[in-house]
Amino acid sequence: MKLLNTLLVLTLGACLAVSAQARDKRDYHEMVYDSGCKTCHDQGLKSFPSDESCLQCHDMAELAEQTKREGHDAKQNPHDSMHYGQEAPCMECHGEHTKKQALCMDCHNFDYPKFK
Amino acid sequence: MQTRRSFLKFGAGAAAVGALAPLTVSANSSDVKWHEKHEIVIVGSGFAGLAAAVEAGKLGAKDILVIEKLGVYGGNSTLNAGQACFANTDLQKQLGIEDSAELMVQDQLKSGRGYASEELLKHSAELGPYIYQLTKDCGCVYRDHIINTGGTSATRSHQVVERSGAGFIRPMLKTARSYGVKTKTRHKFEHLITAADGTVLGIQVRKDYHFGHEDSGTLINIKAEKGVLIATGGFGANVAFRQALDPTLGNEVGCTNARGATGDGLIAMLSEGAMPVHLSFIQSGPWASPDEGGFGYGAGFSLYNFPHSIAIDRNTGQRFMNETADRKTRADLEVQRRDKDGKPNPALLIAPKHEAQKDPSMENVLRYNVAWEFDSVDAIAKHFELPTKQLKKQIDDWNKYVKAGEDPQFGKRMNMSTGIYLTAPFIVQRLWPKVHYCQGGIQINTKAEVIAAKNGQPIRKLYAAGEVSGGVHGVSRLGGCSTPECMAFGVTAARSMMKA
Ligand SMILES: Cc1cc2nc3c(=O)[nH]c(=O)nc-3n(C[C@H](O)[C@H](O)[C@H](O)COP(=O)(O)OP(=O)(O)OC[C@H]3O[C@@H](n4cnc5c(N)ncnc54)[C@H](O)[C@@H]3O)c2cc1C
Repeated sequence: MKLLNTLLVLTLGACLAVSAQARDKRDYHEMVYDSGCKTCHDQGLKSFPSDESCLQCHDMAELAEQTKREGHDAKQNPHDSMHYGQEAPCMECHGEHTKKQALCMDCHNFDYPKFK
Repeated sequence: MQTRRSFLKFGAGAAAVGALAPLTVSANSSDVKWHEKHEIVIVGSGFAGLAAAVEAGKLGAKDILVIEKLGVYGGNSTLNAGQACFANTDLQKQLGIEDSAELMVQDQLKSGRGYASEELLKHSAELGPYIYQLTKDCGCVYRDHIINTGGTSATRSHQVVERSGAGFIRPMLKTARSYGVKTKTRHKFEHLITAADGTVLGIQVRKDYHFGHEDSGTLINIKAEKGVLIATGGFGANVAFRQALDPTLGNEVGCTNARGATGDGLIAMLSEGAMPVHLSFIQSGPWASPDEGGFGYGAGFSLYNFPHSIAIDRNTGQRFMNETADRKTRADLEVQRRDKDGKPNPALLIAPKHEAQKDPSMENVLRYNVAWEFDSVDAIAKHFELPTKQLKKQIDDWNKYVKAGEDPQFGKRMNMSTGIYLTAPFIVQRLWPKVHYCQGGIQINTKAEVIAAKNGQPIRKLYAAGEVSGGVHGVSRLGGCSTPECMAFGVTAARSMMKA
């Protein structure tokens, strides 16, 4: 009985912790949440996901194409920038459970109206 | 495990008294559990680290590791303006510019105000043409125009077409990888691992590190056969550390540096008994704008326009400096521009559009609200609440100096603005210095070996290059002179390791 209680508390605790985090989530990632935290947290729940994690679903070259800019702004493509090419990992700019801004904004007043 | 806090406290104290209590993790090689082993281990992926990787690759090293703590490569180097002072290049000869390593050293010694190291400057300047060629071999492309930077007696700042250090970093990263160099991000160097006699055996690294989350990832020990190169850059972004060394550099002044410029490598070497030099000589950039973060676009705009433009104090409507003096002279004067309550009242850089438009920086500053266009002196005076009469007179006077080729007000070198009159329309940018570069760091010799404080001798198998090293430039570094120096000592460290 005692053991069961402890287990219950532990499980409840874990759920609470998860839901507390999951409060800050992106609606369009709903199905990822449905498949469980480990879908992204490939290095354990207490660790940041690996940089490859997001790339299970997202493709850098495709993203670069989608956010392509022309002429003067060509080098400001956040997914293919002058400074980092296509090598900037997603989590440098995007947060799932925390609000972030694009790394570029450390130095530039760029406008990324669709930034999520 | 030392926390970041204890590191900071230690570093600042060490800097003040120069005395060092070794906080070392010494070990017999047999006691340490090594997770990885490499021939050469390089910490930091900026100019110094990548130049070392490329040179070591060229010299035939088979197993080189470069680690970077951030998620992206290049540190301050990839944010850099892409300018590099080299003396005696084929491009200078083509353009009819006479220059020499000796002259470059003389200019730098002057700006160093008696504190620079002639020996290290000479070593770096003489390697200049080699570095110029090495970068071209990596695929870096230079503009065919050479730039004038403050404090130089010959035009020698070569610039890559990107006008950004990214134009060096990305081709160099590619070249390093083509030599089989392994490059890893999110690997944070924690501290050195040394033998009982002080020889550096390897490093402890936090793998899968996320910046700002000091306990993220896992610790691993990496063994280095030929040596460890610390190329972790400066500490400009570490406000507590820099303010301990220079009380004027708190949050009121911004910073141009990358997030990772927190001084980790410097602090770890201090705790290993390395010799600190000139830690309080921290340079602010006089070309920065308070209307954007970091270096942004404003810096490029003012760098291009300073020679033929004027900087105006908003209280007086008058110039207050030689706009092409060395950085320290200008930054010190700019930060004194205050309103009557002592609050910062940034000076105005006023440039003629007819000249400013020749550089792409103008479009950028206008587009991103870092500078604004005005069609008359009255409009500037009204917008920024300046005394109109004084400002008009100042501009008239300035145009007379342009004509005469002489600046009686501040002794500016006027052959850079011959025929370029300050006439409407004007482009105006605000100026407020930002912490930019750490002249100070760890002492090295011309072999890029790190010197021990207690006996002036090299610490075995420990090398440092780039902004983390100190004492090269003395009180004030000249513009465009870090790029070549970082690369020269990176190359030197690689040569030393391959010879040892
Ligand atoms: C915005 C800007 C513009 C500049 N423009 C010019 C210019 O045009 N010409 C010029 O000559 N100089 C310029 N400078 C100065 C020059 O760029 C720098 O001094 C130079 O880039 C330093 O190179 P570095 O290799 O020593 O360090 P960095 O390029 O800063 O590289 C050090 C790297 O080490 C990493 N690192 C730090 N700690 C650790 C750790 N614990 N573990 C692993 N990695 C770590 C950092 O994240 C960083 O990526 C500029 C500087 C700035 C900031």
